[in-house]
Amino acid sequence: MRLLLIEDDAAVSTYIARGLFEAGHVCDVLADGSDGMFQATRESYDVLVVDRMLPGLDGLSLVRALRAAGGRAPVLFLTALGGIDDRVAGLEAGADDYLTKPFAFAELLARVNALARRPPVQDVQTVLRVADLELDMMRRQARRGGQAIDLLPKEFTLLEVLMRNAGRVVTRTMLLERVWDFHFDPKTSVVETHISRLRAKIDKPFDVALLHTVKNAGYMLHAPR
Amino acid sequence: MRPGDLFRRTAFRLALGVTLFVLTSLVLAGAIGYSLLRSQLVARQDARVTEIFRALQETAQSGDQTDLVEAVTTRIAASPGRSTVYLLRGADGKVLAGNIPDIWFKPGWSSVEAASLKVPADYPYRVYTGTANGNAIVVGLTDADLDDLAEISIGAFGWSALAVLIAAIGAGALIAARVQWRITEVEETLHSVAQGNLAARLAVSRRGNDLDQIALAINHTLTRLESLVEAVRQVSADIAHDLRTPLNRLRIHIEQAAESAQPPASAHLAAALAQSEAIDQTFSALLRIAQIEAGTARAKFSRLDLSGLMRGLAEVYAEVAEDAGMTLVCDAASPAMVTGDTQLLTQAFANLIENALRHCPPGTTITCAVTITDRMAEASIRDTGPGIPEAERDKVLRRLYRLEKSRTAEGSGLGLALVKAVAEVHDAQLALDDACPGLRVSLLFALSDHPI
Repeated sequence: MRLLLIEDDAAVSTYIARGLFEAGHVCDVLADGSDGMFQATRESYDVLVVDRMLPGLDGLSLVRALRAAGGRAPVLFLTALGGIDDRVAGLEAGADDYLTKPFAFAELLARVNALARRPPVQDVQTVLRVADLELDMMRRQARRGGQAIDLLPKEFTLLEVLMRNAGRVVTRTMLLERVWDFHFDPKTSVVETHISRLRAKIDKPFDVALLHTVKNAGYMLHAPR
Repeated sequence: MRPGDLFRRTAFRLALGVTLFVLTSLVLAGAIGYSLLRSQLVARQDARVTEIFRALQETAQSGDQTDLVEAVTTRIAASPGRSTVYLLRGADGKVLAGNIPDIWFKPGWSSVEAASLKVPADYPYRVYTGTANGNAIVVGLTDADLDDLAEISIGAFGWSALAVLIAAIGAGALIAARVQWRITEVEETLHSVAQGNLAARLAVSRRGNDLDQIALAINHTLTRLESLVEAVRQVSADIAHDLRTPLNRLRIHIEQAAESAQPPASAHLAAALAQSEAIDQTFSALLRIAQIEAGTARAKFSRLDLSGLMRGLAEVYAEVAEDAGMTLVCDAASPAMVTGDTQLLTQAFANLIENALRHCPPGTTITCAVTITDRMAEASIRDTGPGIPEAERDKVLRRLYRLEKSRTAEGSGLGLALVKAVAEVHDAQLALDDACPGLRVSLLFALSDHPI
């Protein structure tokens, strides 16, 4: 897919662009906020990656202006601020996700992927499916191979996040934010524990495993290949 | 405001004081005026009595006794109501004329009751007794005018006192209300500032009176405070940016180097990455504590259920505890509404639970509880682990302080410092107690249903 990266730190932008290219994406890079705004409205991109502090036009104003101009491309904010209010301010301005520097490239890639293939909001899926695993959103029920699986409320949410991102890596931080609304880094194995409990319910009793650990990145739910 | 508070209000007490002062002055002025008027009237009455006496004395000296008797008789006839009384006694002591019984008076002035003169009146008489040509002449004048005067002046004084009193109370209440309104405004504004609304300012009227001077001074202080907080915010944003940017580059360089590295270099690079992550975590935690201490989060506080929040956390950590061979139980059944920030409180309680998980041996029981007592809600995390020695309990709340035995364990030594900052921004009382055995950390909040 096609991405626009607006970042003034050349060391960072070069590295990200190369990494995205290696992951199979095309990435345009600009270092100035005004240039970025111009380019974002002129061309069509699948995802915008925007740094918060930029020369020309700062990231917050850029996203606000872009949304006001009707630009709907998903935006991932990069920031070195990472304060309590900064995340909220970024999301309120119209960004879709937020990543604090310094970050691991795997984290950025996972978030970009998650943003790009987000289904349009109108298209509400009531039943999510991965191979023989089904998640009925209306009845809040999980089944695998026709067999009902008993899930706790948070396990259901955890599975939902993984299934909505089936085939893509979901990082530990993404799970903490989306399942538990934790915006800090726990010092204990919260994610690992709950993943292993979920695994015991959806994978253990069956022959084929669907939930996989991706080393140094996160977790991925996908059908057997 | 309770009625009892009224007396503690300066403005009200001032108004009350002024009213009492005005009233006292009025009573004093009335008393002085009345006594001056009275002495004046007494003097005039005495002058009249003296005048009559002199006239009769002249008659006695210029004519004979018959003329005197006639003059007295004529005067008696002119005073049928006996408002003026006369008694003429000859040198032999016999009464020659008079409209009162034969009574002996001491020479000179005297005051006599009407009853003793056999006159049917309530007022006393002012009487002068003197001699003329061997005759004793007694002239007396009723005090009726004087008494009427007393009645009139007391009445006039009473009504005017009432009018002044009403005016004074009205004016006092008006002034007190105005002063009170401004004092309340100052109270509310400062409270709002304490709650994190640094832009709040006092209204200053164009009159430029002393209250306006105070308001100006307070506004000036608030502006200074706001700019200081803004400066701190700006500095921490700058530090964040200037430190995270090189940290980000460092990370990128390590990640890039790690892609093509062979052992043993790859192991060193992995360790370097872990260290750069540790730097970032410590730095982020310090920055976060500083931001919490700045108190700006207060502006976004909302009502939340402490019990619900605690149950959610217990749900997250119960299985983590189970995997560590511990038991986590939650006792937070009844709702406890407090005012606060969900994210900050979640992180604070998570830090406490994680501390227990990391520092206690398997077999430990961790109890998360929310109890309500007398307008307060207490959230507590209790473990049956090794606890913290009493002498160390204050120190562990300090930034970067770590107990000797946990120095080797992972962690930044900022977990409890953050809990302390979160407690302070919520005006919650933080306490570390001996759970015999173990540690009990509690935060005492005011229930938001009953603001104190």
